Amino acid sequence: MATNTDRRRNNPPSGGTHAPVFARTLREPEYLQTLRPTRTRGPNELRRIFLQTSIIPSASGSAYLEIPSSSANSSSTLIPPTSSLKITASIQGPKPLPRSAPFSPSLLLTTTVKFAPFATRHRRGYIRDNTERDLGVHLETALRAVIIGERWPKSGVEVVVTILEGDEDGWWGDAHASGSGWGLLNVLAGCITVASAAITDAGIDCVDMVCGGVAAIIRNPDSRDEEDLVRVLDPCPAEHKQVVAACAVGYLASRDEVTEIWMKGDVGPDPDALIEGATHASVGSLAVVKEVLLEALQAKFQGQIESSQGAQKRKAQDVEMTG
Amino acid sequence: MATAASAPPPALTFPRPIFAAVSPHPFLQAHLSASKTAVRANGRAAHEFRAPGVNTGSLTHCNGSAVVRLGNTSVVCGVRAEILKEEDTPGTSSPAAVNANGDVEGDEDAGAEDEVETLRLLVPNVELSTGSTPAHIPGNAPSTFAQSLITRIRSLLHSTRLLRARDLRITYTPTTNPEDPEAAPETESKGYWVLYLDVFFISIDGNAFDATWLSILAALKNTRLPHAYFDEECEGILCSDDPSEARTLQLRGLPVSSSFAVFEGRGEGDGETGGEWVLSDPDAFEEGVCRETVTVTVDRGVIRRVEKSGGGVVGRETMKALVKRATERWAVVEGAVSGRP
Repeated sequence: MATNTDRRRNNPPSGGTHAPVFARTLREPEYLQTLRPTRTRGPNELRRIFLQTSIIPSASGSAYLEIPSSSANSSSTLIPPTSSLKITASIQGPKPLPRSAPFSPSLLLTTTVKFAPFATRHRRGYIRDNTERDLGVHLETALRAVIIGERWPKSGVEVVVTILEGDEDGWWGDAHASGSGWGLLNVLAGCITVASAAITDAGIDCVDMVCGGVAAIIRNPDSRDEEDLVRVLDPCPAEHKQVVAACAVGYLASRDEVTEIWMKGDVGPDPDALIEGATHASVGSLAVVKEVLLEALQAKFQGQIESSQGAQKRKAQDVEMTG
Repeated sequence: MATAASAPPPALTFPRPIFAAVSPHPFLQAHLSASKTAVRANGRAAHEFRAPGVNTGSLTHCNGSAVVRLGNTSVVCGVRAEILKEEDTPGTSSPAAVNANGDVEGDEDAGAEDEVETLRLLVPNVELSTGSTPAHIPGNAPSTFAQSLITRIRSLLHSTRLLRARDLRITYTPTTNPEDPEAAPETESKGYWVLYLDVFFISIDGNAFDATWLSILAALKNTRLPHAYFDEECEGILCSDDPSEARTLQLRGLPVSSSFAVFEGRGEGDGETGGEWVLSDPDAFEEGVCRETVTVTVDRGVIRRVEKSGGGVVGRETMKALVKRATERWAVVEGAVSGRP
């Protein structure tokens, strides 16, 4: 990244820097293999999800999603085995479009997805790259169909998603893993879920809650047969030696509609089973989202009732402005 | 302005948020000049700071990380260490000078400290455009505010000389001296650790500078660098992944910054002036109506840096009081950073 000088930020030394190389991983291949994480969940079991809404007071809606790493961080090495998923989403608006903008009969949706520099094993830059733009477009497709845009003519809304930590494309010890893009599907599903929760938090009218889900077809690690394939929900790519195909969907559970499909790899003759799996995964995350949103809503109304009761009392204390 | 004495005309009342949005300045002044309970609009007294919340080590891919909250301002800082090879350093630092100071003992030497700055071993960056505030929308270049924030942080890092060059240096002592087998082998510098300090704002509610600095401090204290050595066999720098060999950074003291904003009240008529209040740790609403700001950085009662801009209210006496407030604040922050409640 040495050539990439940005005059508005602090740049690294012009000679360029290198990520540290760990000696034991070079010298002892057996040791390397002991670090490989494996899936301990059942094939249909999802990782736990943590979701919180209204984390940014100055935004009209916001949410934070975390899917903790399923394999415990071992204390015997400094190299993290797998990464977790941590995403924040913030909604700015809806607000009126600038006067210079052409007339728009419905809400203009802008989505921005950005990885933090520390989100992945290799440091990322500050300027948005193609992967981030691509994710932004996918997210926009997933959300656009859900929002009832006709209720906000001449206005725009910004959906800003920041990935503080993203899933990896594969286990770092496998040379073929990086760049395969399996991790992006998980990131996209997370982005869809968190953005949708934030939109609900902002109170923008939607036809339904959209939720992301991922399913993958992997080579069965227990069998010798090359053709023995298993379908798993919510795959963590680092835990699987070989992912054959994967699919992320944005799914509206109560309407049984899909707003976004992103499929990769060699799906085989029956793609429906994979999509079906992904929708099952999204229904799983919907259960969590629903719970959190209901709780947040309850807390909000509780607060409103109390504040309206207290308003009479407070009026006496309020500072009066005259003249 | 508040509670006029002589026969007030029917008062015009608004709900609080609307009053604050429509006329922010009188709103805050009315709060501060209320005779009995003079508190700020956010419920704090003028000299009151927000309690810092620090949570370290939550990011997987960082050598050190911290999440810091100051009320509604929350920020994530990740420290990432990468290696700069000696042959990649520009010719500005002559290898001879580095060799002379390569020893651990030469640390307090002022000349050696310049390495951190001249070789740019610290790369702090701040990102505000994460939807954290409506004022910074992503897609644009960093705003003037963001750029000045980074510059202030960087200059504070260098002027307090927080990091020791010997912590970042990777040295190598050959087993034998190639030129003279009898003489002791010379230690040579083979490379440096470069620390990327990336600060991401999740939410901004005022006082971005203190939050950024606090997160950097906490993350640096949390940082563990793996043991790095020069390997003769592959002629490169390798690291050990054994956590017991990893080192923490030896920071020089703990400079803590405290920011203040000066609120100038408006008088009733011409020439008359209202009161003046110095508000500790201003939030976004207060920053919007204050012009003069003061940032005092102290380390255990010693002033490390004073920055003041925007007005002429803070004089010698007020400044003295502010330093005192900053010193009191230091103890609170020190407790939070070192994990004590």
